[in-house]
Amino acid sequence: MSDPTPAPPAAAALVAAPPRIQVTRLLSRYGIIVVFLVLCVALTLANEFFLTWGNWANVLRQTSINGILAIGMTFVILCGGIDLSVGSLLAISGMVAGSLVTGIHAHNPVIAILAGVLTGTVLGSINGLLVARLSVPPFVATLGMLSVGRGLTFIYSDGMPIPNLSMGFRYIGQGDLLRIPMPVVMLLAVFGICYFVLTYTTYGRYVYAVGGSEKSAKTSGISTRLITFSVYMISGALAGLAGQILAARTTSALPQAGISYELDAIAAVVIGGTSLQQGGVGSLVGTLFGALIIGVINNGLDLMGVSSYYQQVIKGIIIVAAVLLDAFTRKRQQ
Amino acid sequence: MKRSCKIAIALALILGSTQATQAAPKKSYRVGAAVYGLKAEFMQIWVGALKEHPAVKSGLVKLTVFDGNYDALTQNNQFDTMVTQKYDGAIFVPIDIQAGAEAVNKAFAAGIPVVGSNTRVNSDNLLSYIGSNDVIAGEMEAEAVIKGIGGKGNVVILEGPIGQSAQIERRKGNEQALAKNPNVKVVEMKTANWSRAEALSLMENWLTAHPGQINGIIGQNDEMALGAIAAVKAKGIDLKTMPTAGIDGVTDAILAVKRNEMVSILQDARAQAQGALDILLRKLVGPSYKPSSPIWAQYAKGMPWNDGQDKVYNVPWTPITLQNADALLKDRQK
Repeated sequence: MSDPTPAPPAAAALVAAPPRIQVTRLLSRYGIIVVFLVLCVALTLANEFFLTWGNWANVLRQTSINGILAIGMTFVILCGGIDLSVGSLLAISGMVAGSLVTGIHAHNPVIAILAGVLTGTVLGSINGLLVARLSVPPFVATLGMLSVGRGLTFIYSDGMPIPNLSMGFRYIGQGDLLRIPMPVVMLLAVFGICYFVLTYTTYGRYVYAVGGSEKSAKTSGISTRLITFSVYMISGALAGLAGQILAARTTSALPQAGISYELDAIAAVVIGGTSLQQGGVGSLVGTLFGALIIGVINNGLDLMGVSSYYQQVIKGIIIVAAVLLDAFTRKRQQ
Repeated sequence: MKRSCKIAIALALILGSTQATQAAPKKSYRVGAAVYGLKAEFMQIWVGALKEHPAVKSGLVKLTVFDGNYDALTQNNQFDTMVTQKYDGAIFVPIDIQAGAEAVNKAFAAGIPVVGSNTRVNSDNLLSYIGSNDVIAGEMEAEAVIKGIGGKGNVVILEGPIGQSAQIERRKGNEQALAKNPNVKVVEMKTANWSRAEALSLMENWLTAHPGQINGIIGQNDEMALGAIAAVKAKGIDLKTMPTAGIDGVTDAILAVKRNEMVSILQDARAQAQGALDILLRKLVGPSYKPSSPIWAQYAKGMPWNDGQDKVYNVPWTPITLQNADALLKDRQK
């Protein structure tokens, strides 16, 4: 309990040496960090620009959207479910906010962002109701929402992008806070809050409990329905937030934004060691590094000018290898 | 007296109308427009223009739009529907140049004339094809960038999804222009899948990998060029020192042209859509048919009507300039 709080992972990555006291414990728990560091060392040797602040700002900025989606996805997968609708919810949330910050009657960007996040939250809650209350299998419920959400996006926007978002709104995608890009600030904030909630609150323990065994959770008096409902709501809200960042980054709300983003989010969660087979196993730190690994691979291969044909193959191999290595390290530690 | 007068008029009207029906055997034609997908702005504009065609507005044509959902099989099934429902004619924007041929042959066998529009299909049974030559656009945009950087320097190329006909042909055009300018070097060339968000990340990484070395950006469509512009702006680089070009003339790109940030070349969706319907009606109505879309007058020089008998109609590309930008934007407001 009296352990010092873990160093922020991004900072750890930059310093390239995690705090001494926790090295062995961290390694046993997160073999994925080893994979991440190995990748970083390899890319540093391969490309002179990889280990520069400018490039890391890129990597983190590019990881922020997938990272935030993956954090929401971790809640859902920990609880034994899956959320396929995040890409669609991201698009409609961005669209709703986008429509509020353009034109003559442009609203305050804060209101627009809240409205966007609320949109994601409401649609995520519908997922939650379907799964928790009506016992629709998560795969089916969120697959339905994937389609409905995308359709609503096109209906809402008539298939057209919304350009010219106000400068204030763009700040969350393009601005800096103390030299740190805003999307990264948001990612770290979301990570910090969610890490605290999952690790140190009763609610967080309940999420693990429900995922581990719904029956025993129920017998222990946990409202499993409420917990299940809540994780889809969280995932929807975070998808909504990611939609704001994407719109601000591209300076326009795009109806085709986020198509197949759910796959990268699920990949990040799985690389991070959260189990798809059995709920209740996994961690947010793993997810964050999973997202970083995907981001670093994309960035590194772009830097080295690897053709997009090879890039897909290499990405796939590294993802599978990362999970293999992680499983291997865990076994040895045990 | 009055009564007999009325009867006479009624009789005359009936006679008149029967005569009219004899001259044109049908009062209205059922036309199906099978388009590859409605998720991008270009096809939205295309469909919107088709619905604005004078023949559709007057009721001469009863139009049904089929959304192919980016799937060749879906489009094939839609042609089956048109055959069983005995449509009079079809306009076809295929997703796949080869798979589309089967659909055309089916309609041809059933006596339904098919006019191709926008994207090519590999079939001799097509009545006619109206589209814009992507090789020319690729050449025009590359020339604009080469001119912008003064005939020497480094450029990057953002490609469409590898293997799509527009990507293949636009690349060919890019390469033709580059071959004439040996002092211009392509430092990077990679797909961003027509996507603004993907192009944004890719360009961020390229700007890091080649600091201060990239002089111009060739985007094979506007969306990607706009993504690259967002990356360049975020880096604090003056866009005047980074000539950028795209193709299609989407609304956001026209706005960027007005801000002097890029060059774009308009692919005239209206001419492709309305022209296709006129060619089809010439076949259905017969030699008495006069094209009713204003586009034939607009392109009288570059694309003569020739009684609707040509096998291929090439809609000329229009570079978007400060002079025509406002008029184009006003056109979109409808």
